[in-house]
Amino acid sequence: MEILESINWAVIAPLIFIQGILLIFAIIDWAKAEDTNGPKWLWFFVIIFVNIIGPVAYFLFGRKRS
Amino acid sequence: MTLFKKEMVENWRNKKWVWVPLVFILLAVMDPISNYYMADILGAVGGLPDGAVFEMPDFTPPEVVMMSLGQLSSLGVLIIVLISMGTISGEIKNGVSELILVKPISYTNYITAKWTALMLLSWGALIIGMLGSWYYINILYGEISIADFLSTVFFYGLWLTFIVSLSIFFNTISKTPGLVAFLTILTIMVMSALTKVFQHLLEWSPNNLSSYIMQMLIEGNIPSNLTGTALTTVGLSILLLIFSIVIFRKREIAN
Repeated sequence: MEILESINWAVIAPLIFIQGILLIFAIIDWAKAEDTNGPKWLWFFVIIFVNIIGPVAYFLFGRKRS
Repeated sequence: MTLFKKEMVENWRNKKWVWVPLVFILLAVMDPISNYYMADILGAVGGLPDGAVFEMPDFTPPEVVMMSLGQLSSLGVLIIVLISMGTISGEIKNGVSELILVKPISYTNYITAKWTALMLLSWGALIIGMLGSWYYINILYGEISIADFLSTVFFYGLWLTFIVSLSIFFNTISKTPGLVAFLTILTIMVMSALTKVFQHLLEWSPNNLSSYIMQMLIEGNIPSNLTGTALTTVGLSILLLIFSIVIFRKREIAN
């Protein structure tokens, strides 16, 4: 637990929070999308496992323009 | 106005209003944090010989502001270019613009509505991102006054304004979104090369905005060059916008 206490939460917490929101919005959008550029299941893993860049990449390249 | 509202609704529906500001926060905040913890990170990664001592430079708040702006200048600009590349060219391609333009809407309205919506988005993202950076600078490095912060955001926003206008301009020229992005980035690169080569002639080139902002933060007052550069940037943006409208009108009438 020492490691947990040594972290400066004022610094890290906002970052985790932002990353979380980004991920949630990407996943909601992904779930609603009927079709994506490229296989849909692949984008799921990209959004979940690639930190920060994953959701952004999905918004930039994965969404089909309707 | 209705067109502008349609743009805003669309930008909200495709979540641009959510993710672009968030990404700008992350970009603006990344460098201040990682530089602050650089000594710890190096220590944790290891691989340094025993007894190696690193003198990490202590950054002053203005230097850290410049780091944030540096990130926004590279990746932030890239994101703005990527989200704006299809805004008109994409609509021309899939025929949406024709549907809109059969209604009694002037070409001027169409272009300015697009431009305003993009401007709001990038200024909003910039302000939110820099607020994040400001928060961290105040905890980790030291104070930056509100006045300094606001003027930094304002002058840097002019650079983004220029990028948006440039992208809109190429949007009216090309039908392919990818080509729009490529041309925009190419232009920015050529401009920055020209600015470096003809340093003495092009003192007011928009590419110099960041360095004058740095000067302003260090000296504490607005250098006259910054005012000049700001005016040039605004002027160029307006010119680009007018050109876009003219070109767009010609092209649509020709069709």
